[in-house]
Amino acid sequence: MKRIIIDREKCDGCLNCNIACISAHEEGSNFYTVNLQSPDAETRNFIKFDVGKGYLPIFCRHCDEPECVLSCMSGALEKDPVSGHVQYDENKCAACYMCVMNCPFGVLKPDKKNRTKVIKCDFCDDKPDGPSCVKACPKQAIVVKEVNL
Amino acid sequence: MKIVIIGASAAGISAAKTIKVSEPETEVVIISKEDSVHSRCMLHKFLGHQRDAKGISFIADDFFETAGITWLNNTTVISLDPDKKTVTTHDNQTISYDKLLIATGAAYFIPPIPGLRESKNVYGFRDLNDAKLLDRECQTAKNAVVIGAGLVGMDAAVALLERGLNVTVIEMTKDVMSLQLDHQAARAYQQLFEEAGAEFILEDKVVSVDVNDVGRGTTIHLASGKAVPADVIVIAAGVRPAFNFTQGSGIKTNHAILVGDDLKTNLKDIYAAGDVTGIAGIWPNAMKQGRVAAINMLGEKLLYEDRYALKNTVNFYGLTTLSLGNINPEPEENCEILIREDRHNYQKVVLKNGIVLGVIMQGDIGGTGFWQYLIKNKIDISGKNKDVFSLSFADFYDLDQQTGEYKYAV
Ligand SMILES: Cc1cc2nc3c(=O)[nH]c(=O)nc-3n(C[C@H](O)[C@H](O)[C@H](O)COP(=O)(O)OP(=O)(O)OC[C@H]3O[C@@H](n4cnc5c(N)ncnc54)[C@H](O)[C@@H]3O)c2cc1C
Ligand code: SF4
Ligand code: SF4
Repeated sequence: MKRIIIDREKCDGCLNCNIACISAHEEGSNFYTVNLQSPDAETRNFIKFDVGKGYLPIFCRHCDEPECVLSCMSGALEKDPVSGHVQYDENKCAACYMCVMNCPFGVLKPDKKNRTKVIKCDFCDDKPDGPSCVKACPKQAIVVKEVNL
Repeated sequence: MKIVIIGASAAGISAAKTIKVSEPETEVVIISKEDSVHSRCMLHKFLGHQRDAKGISFIADDFFETAGITWLNNTTVISLDPDKKTVTTHDNQTISYDKLLIATGAAYFIPPIPGLRESKNVYGFRDLNDAKLLDRECQTAKNAVVIGAGLVGMDAAVALLERGLNVTVIEMTKDVMSLQLDHQAARAYQQLFEEAGAEFILEDKVVSVDVNDVGRGTTIHLASGKAVPADVIVIAAGVRPAFNFTQGSGIKTNHAILVGDDLKTNLKDIYAAGDVTGIAGIWPNAMKQGRVAAINMLGEKLLYEDRYALKNTVNFYGLTTLSLGNINPEPEENCEILIREDRHNYQKVVLKNGIVLGVIMQGDIGGTGFWQYLIKNKIDISGKNKDVFSLSFADFYDLDQQTGEYKYAV
């Protein structure tokens, strides 16, 4: 399956990946027109800073054994058997947030507007040209690679 | 090989899925006393009329056909013969198995309070049938009383409020959801429920129920002398693992079916998973146990080591809380308690010698999944030299170079 491979040493914390992610999920917007103040503006990837280690990109791993899927009580989270990506169906979700508790890497969060859904990486719906964050990274700190399951 | 699974819920379905994915030729028969597969965690959405029965299913419509699984629904198992390797059902079918998984969950319990068990308008809140019966009562009832302010009682209350009933919640302890929350975190929810119209009677006990001439409970009497009128009563005073049908089979139990780390019982070729094992009463653990049991039934070895059960998330009226571990330590435990508050958040971390024993995160719970890892694995954070409330996975960040997956640097 395809996974976003992280080379944290290349990351210099520009946050273009955050903006690209918000824009990809705001219909009709692009990198320049995206409204970052909108209550719906939510990034699905995070860059943390550590004094010792520098910038640390935190992106959903679409895990081989996804704890989030194993904890979902509504069937909203499923690992696609073909793409291997963990997909989320907002209509099924009951906003119980067991998945937020169970993702060991703290990737998942409730939506900040209403707390009725989960904000999760969707691999940009497996678009042929790849996830928006990867395209927006000027340093190639994140690249898509094929990994064996 | 023929595997029979009793129970079509979190544990049973996850076991069946696991079996069919790794060994599609294995014959799988699922028996359940209910006629639908649904998530109990969404019953309040059904009773609150936000979703229909189909909307609270957690599997695809054609799940059984596609997976090639035989499902005997509306079928209750009444006995087990481990020597002949068969189970018998209420309608006198004898079903043989090579391996058996008991995933019968838990059932609610009505305390022996005078008048309570006899009342016809007393309901549990455990499965869709309970919710349907309650739904019917809601069409005429005005006053609803919920006995027990744990998570299940609060789920029932939120739905009854949604339906416009006057809801009174009676609870023995001094706070709502006292297993998951501390006083302050509980007050926040109580207030939201009160704003929605609920009334709470805390630190009080039901002593008797008046039953009228058609057998319905009408007035609930409390130890304090208070009397509460009721048209419909929901009992949410706890559940018990459901394994009546194993009586006489020689299976080892202690208020639950006892299993080893491979989820095998003391009887040959019989496994158990989910709430019936008493290990944890929550959905994620039932699913995981179903999966682990299935793998062991197929002859591989996998141990279930996640016996850590004190964990939950709560989301009512948009207020979210994560609760893990020991959150209300006794003074003699000599724990360090750190609290941080602002307008939107109440956060509490319980520490002892650098090890996190418990947390409450109320408000913003985004990205808090790492706390469970720290608590479960007793990670010492004293070397972090950092405000505990600013910890995140970044403080334990490591990557597997081969697979690109994360791992914990501890
Ligand atoms: C109202 C409510 C809300 C909840 N909310 C949450 C939540 O938000 N998050 C969370 O993690 N957990 C929640 N839980 C707990 C969660 O639902 C359980 O942990 C989970 O359902 C356990 O799954 P299980 O497969 O072990 O058993 P169960 O779900 O109890 O299923 C038991 C199965 O066995 C069948 N069965 C039982 N006896 C027999 C028999 N003799 N013959 C044939 N079939 C039989 C039943 O028909 C059923 O299919 C909630 C529970 C309730 C009641
Ligand atoms: S949300 Fe977390 S557990 Fe789920 S696939 Fe992504 S990284 Fe894995
Ligand atoms: S919040 Fe939604 S996606 Fe997450 S576990 Fe609950 S139902 Fe599943």
